[in-house]
Parts: sequence; C-alpha cells; structure tokens
Amino acid sequence: MVVYGTKRIVLESYPILMACILIALAAGYMLNSSIAEIAELPLILAMIPPINGMGGNIGSILGARLTSALHLGTLEPRLRGQHVLRMNVSASALMSFAIFSLFGVLFFAIAYLSGIPVARSLSLALAFFIAGMTLSTALMFVTIASAFVSFKGGLDPDNVVIPIVTAIGDVLGVTCLLMAIKIVGV
Amino acid sequence: MAREVNIHAIVVQGLSVLLLCAFIELGAGKVFEGMRGYFMTTGLIVMVPPLLGLRGNINGALASRLGTGLNAGLIKPRLAMSTEIKVNLASSLILSLIASATIGAFAFGVNVLTGAPTIGVLELMAIAVLAGFLSALILASLTVLMAIISYARGWDPDNVTSPTMASIGDFVTIACIYLAVLLVV
Repeated sequence: MVVYGTKRIVLESYPILMACILIALAAGYMLNSSIAEIAELPLILAMIPPINGMGGNIGSILGARLTSALHLGTLEPRLRGQHVLRMNVSASALMSFAIFSLFGVLFFAIAYLSGIPVARSLSLALAFFIAGMTLSTALMFVTIASAFVSFKGGLDPDNVVIPIVTAIGDVLGVTCLLMAIKIVGV
Repeated sequence: MAREVNIHAIVVQGLSVLLLCAFIELGAGKVFEGMRGYFMTTGLIVMVPPLLGLRGNINGALASRLGTGLNAGLIKPRLAMSTEIKVNLASSLILSLIASATIGAFAFGVNVLTGAPTIGVLELMAIAVLAGFLSALILASLTVLMAIISYARGWDPDNVTSPTMASIGDFVTIACIYLAVLLVV
C-alpha cells in the first residue's frame, strides 16, 4: 500500500511554504537595507547563518517536544501550573545560554584572528551573545504560543509549529543581530 | 519522554546535536561572508533568508515524514528505491523547484518596491531555481540516507535527522547559491 502521494504532499505544503517565504523575505529586506553597515563589517554576514540556524534549532526542539507532550496529554494548552512546560523551557534556556556563550567565544576568536582589534572583537562577541539570548527568549514565546493556538484550533501542531518558528526565527534573528550591534556600538 | 521530564537528558542530547550544528553553521557563515562582493548592487541578499528557510522547511518535512514512515513500519529501513521513498523524494524536488522560482520573483518584487538596486527578474529566478534545485537534489538524498541509517542503527530519526539536516542544509544551500551566482551573473 502506498500511503504517500506526491500531489497531496505538494498541495498541502505549498501554502505554508509561501507563508514562510513571505516572512523570510522580510529578513532579506532588512539585510538589504543594512547593506552599508555590512560592507563596513562583513563579519555580520558570517553571523547570519549561525544565529538563524541556532534560533531555529532551539525553537524546533522545544516545539517538537511540546507538540509530543500535547498529543500525549501530559501538557495542556495553558500557562499556569504546567510542570512539563516549565521543565522544557528551563532546558531550552540552559541550552541557549550554553550554545550562545560558545558562539561568543568562537566569534571573538574569529574576529581577533581576522585582524580586528581586541576591544572591537569583544564587543562583536558580546553583541552576538546578546542577540542570541534575546532571540531564543522571544522564540520560546512564539513556539509556546503557536503550539497552544494550533492545538486548540484543532490543527496538528507537528505540521504548523516548526515552519512558523523557523520563519519567524529568521526575521527575529536578523533583527536581534542588527539591533544588538547598534546597541553595543561595534 | 513526557512521562518524566529529564532536563539533564534534554540538555545533553540537545547540546551535542547543537554543537555539531554550530560548527557547520560557522562554515556556512564564512561562505556567506565570502560572497559579500555580490551583494552591493544585485539585490541578491534579499533571497538568501527565504532560500535557507525553504530548504530547512522542505527537508525538515521530508525528514519528519520519513521518520514517521520508518517508525510506523511503512518504509523499510533498506537503501532501496521503494515507491514510498520515490514519492517523498519527488515531492521534495517538485516543491523546491516551484517554491524557488517563487522566491526569485518575489525577491525581484521586493527590490523594485523598495527601490533597491537589482538585477533582472529572470536572472534572480535562474539563480534561485538553480541553487534551490541543486541543493534539493543533494540534501534530499542525504536526508533519505541519514533517516534510514539512523533508524537501522536504533536511533530515533525524529531526533537526529531534522537538526543535523537543517545545519548541513544551510551550508550546502549557501554553497549552491554561490555556485549559481558564479554561473549566472
């Protein structure tokens, strides 16, 4: 028996892909409008795939765990008194802290080795860390909200949460990075 | 997992996958940085986040369908071209083709609407389709391989395939965009 059909997969996926493309184009537009800063500091470009990728990964892992828990009934779509939710959020927060600290150190090394002075390399690393932590905090809210809303609305959160979280993660990742670089004043 | 939430286990498993991903993403970042010369006047950069996102979504969905199919016994963990695998592969490739073309057209629209400098709509679409289809071909095959091998080894493909393929996907996609740019511009 063949369970998968090409037509069905393509037709069901295309609308959500279009939505994600439109969201991600906003991220592209923001990059394009900061092209002057990027030309001056091309290392910003090297930071884009890591921050978007990691934000997406952290959100997706949390999303996958929450949707499994919703299906299993160990998690209810409300915020108060949810042990499973609290534990999962703490685990994600810990992971973000660990991974973005590591990235901070790596980017300091990369910046310093590519001839940027120590002080500026430090502020670049700090900006990446701040951007990463802001992004993962915001994405955790997006993940929880989209998991709960889609589950309450009768949609299978497995189909909805991860595409939405990764697309919003792309826009927020670029936004957080550009803002953190402005705030730290690199 | 949900009967007892073990923070330690989540963090250790999650972190080891993320660490691997971190280094792959750094590689993707360096390739992206190397393309900077092409971004000033071409309006190309607008397409990059959607193309990366598209790749992650199509492959993530493929990985998750394969994971479900393997776990449910619908797909046999053998490296043979069964009908299920063919249908899944073909769907991913068709989606990549039409969605990449859409990205090229939309990116041109965004550039024109915002008054940013841009190359022609056909060139943008050609780059998007070339990069999208090439990376889809490489990544869809890798996803099938990884899902089947991880299942055959007793790992849950749901936990392994999606995050690793997302990061490998970023790297391969950026490399394919670079290649497509070199060919078209």
